[in-house]
Amino acid sequence: MTPAGRRLPPRLGQGWLVAPPAAYLFALLIFPIVLIGLYSVFLRTNLTGVVAVFSFQDWGRFFPASWGELPWRTSSPFWNTFVRSMGVTVVIALATTALAYPLAYFLAFGTRRRRSLLLLVVLAPFFTSFLLRVLAWQVMLRANGVFNSALWELHLRPHGEPVSWLINTWFSVGLVLAYAWVPFVALPIFVSMERIDRRLLEAAHDLGAGRLTAFRKVTFPLSLPGVVAGFVFVLIPTTGEFVTPQLVGGPGTYMFGQAIQDLFVGTASDWNYGAVLAVWLTVVVGLLMALSGRALTMDPRR
Amino acid sequence: MERLDRRDFLRGMAGLGGAALLTGCGAESGLKAAGASTGATGRPVHYPGQVGAEPDHLVIAEWPGYEAGGTKAQTYGLTAGRAYTRRFGASGLTYADYGNDDKNLNKMRAGERFDLLHPCVDYVQDYVDAGLVEPFETDLLPSFDRLYPQFADRGSLNGRQYWIPWDWGFGSVMYRKDKVAEADARGWELMWNERYAGKISMWDGGSTPVMVAGLLTDPPAQDIFHQTSDELERSRQLLIQQKPLNKFYWTSEYGDMQPAFKSGDIWITYAWPADYKAMGDALGYDKVAYMTPSQGKLAWVCGFMMGKGTQSPLHAHAYVESFISLAASANLVNLFAYGSSNASVTPAMVKDGRLARELDIGNPEAFGPPVHVERHIPNRAEYQEVWAEVKAS
Repeated sequence: MTPAGRRLPPRLGQGWLVAPPAAYLFALLIFPIVLIGLYSVFLRTNLTGVVAVFSFQDWGRFFPASWGELPWRTSSPFWNTFVRSMGVTVVIALATTALAYPLAYFLAFGTRRRRSLLLLVVLAPFFTSFLLRVLAWQVMLRANGVFNSALWELHLRPHGEPVSWLINTWFSVGLVLAYAWVPFVALPIFVSMERIDRRLLEAAHDLGAGRLTAFRKVTFPLSLPGVVAGFVFVLIPTTGEFVTPQLVGGPGTYMFGQAIQDLFVGTASDWNYGAVLAVWLTVVVGLLMALSGRALTMDPRR
Repeated sequence: MERLDRRDFLRGMAGLGGAALLTGCGAESGLKAAGASTGATGRPVHYPGQVGAEPDHLVIAEWPGYEAGGTKAQTYGLTAGRAYTRRFGASGLTYADYGNDDKNLNKMRAGERFDLLHPCVDYVQDYVDAGLVEPFETDLLPSFDRLYPQFADRGSLNGRQYWIPWDWGFGSVMYRKDKVAEADARGWELMWNERYAGKISMWDGGSTPVMVAGLLTDPPAQDIFHQTSDELERSRQLLIQQKPLNKFYWTSEYGDMQPAFKSGDIWITYAWPADYKAMGDALGYDKVAYMTPSQGKLAWVCGFMMGKGTQSPLHAHAYVESFISLAASANLVNLFAYGSSNASVTPAMVKDGRLARELDIGNPEAFGPPVHVERHIPNRAEYQEVWAEVKAS
């Protein structure tokens, strides 16, 4: 009989536990990133008849040779796409966070008895594939879709004259992305609100703070880690988004993720240039994660 | 080994293409009878063995809608291919979306393998040069001798038959007659007409929009299939100018273009005859027109190629035969309003006489000026780059 409580040396045990995910991460994350890195500096290429030799040529193509009057009007079309995409991504992330906050607040403070049911309702769309949900929006937004038909039936618009900006515009891309991300943002905010010690709010009221002041001085600062986490949850995947703009966007809503996709598997076959864009996006996302990590570890009470 | 940079590579490709163009011109001037599978440089190909000894599985890169009759994937009523599925069953056939020629070529360059693919004639040389395909043994294709030589010859490189033509048709502007003023619908410039901003959709077709732009630049490109750097720059500018007028760039005729045209989201689009037939049938031919532009339509011939290293070449041959046979070809013509490579299909076999006349179905003589018959683009990488930049602009 082995003595109760005998354990393996912790280092060895931990090492074995970490091995499978580490191998998984190395094979499916680190190795592909290194490979993409090699393509970005022309140490590998998909062009036939070309010898791959180290070169920054494609990086030179990506960074603008001349800067226009605006950061998205430079001589490099792909740089312009990047700046435009990032701008739109930040706006979408801000809008989504603003939409999710009241929802999270209601879940945390406004309801007690039906909370589980409401949480289930918030999460229900995730039982369906993302692609199907985007396609459903297509059906709703297009010229003879649900919204336009309703406007016609209600005589709010002449029959046969659809509202054209409903689809293939930044509006439709923003709407569908916000719809997709709101629950993702609401959940971390909800969790951070749940953790707020209710006695702090009672103390605020006892000390004469009104509801608004209590919210401003207690609830909001304490929910900030959830807000930052939610914001980052949207920001990071949206920077590489390509499905939504492809399905409900138009030529004017071309995003950086679509450019990368096109350069690898689309009509243009330029893996080296595609790799430059992919590495650049990875670096930017890495920086955003590092910054958000700092923001999350900061103590909001200070 | 000295490194060839991208510019040298593109220049080299252009030179290679120029040589190919000259060869191509030679082939066009001296038509030979279809059926020869030997040539000056290639040795005859022979696939020995029994079809029963091969794996009965074929992976086929195919344009949606063209799947063999008898398969679950075929939902448009095409019966071509049924001879194959009757003999070997449908369960061994797997289809991958061909997407478009640029996409599939890039996919295969990246290592994806298919037993059969359905490229258009202008890409035949790209596939052969990249070593991605095997030649056919034309003796295994009983209907091969019935194919128009002017089509079949385009698939013969180095004396080997790498490509078997099947379908041909046009690329032009389809528009709503009831929405577009007749005076505006004279030529390709309709796609650039600001009056219809937001009601236009160009095909996300890689090299194709660049060809179209070459017809309209000032001055027009000398050869829209081999534009010089200056001409490409002019085409790029013209396409950037056209970009905001599009509702979207369409990627799939059935997936996004036809539904949007039917619903009225778009009125003007790049389209093929099958789209015209589908939309004419749906909306009425009084509302839909397929333009004969003053600058000329584009025209294409597509067909089958056999992927390098296929384990089932005899099945592949049987599959191709089941498409180029007379019955299958007649079905193609009547269902999709495309032309057939099979010379036995006559205009009289086309049920819709009006469509036959309008689209020149059954008349391969339509393949001449002012129609621009698509052919190998020597500097294709530059075309692809132009289109990628237009989209990103």
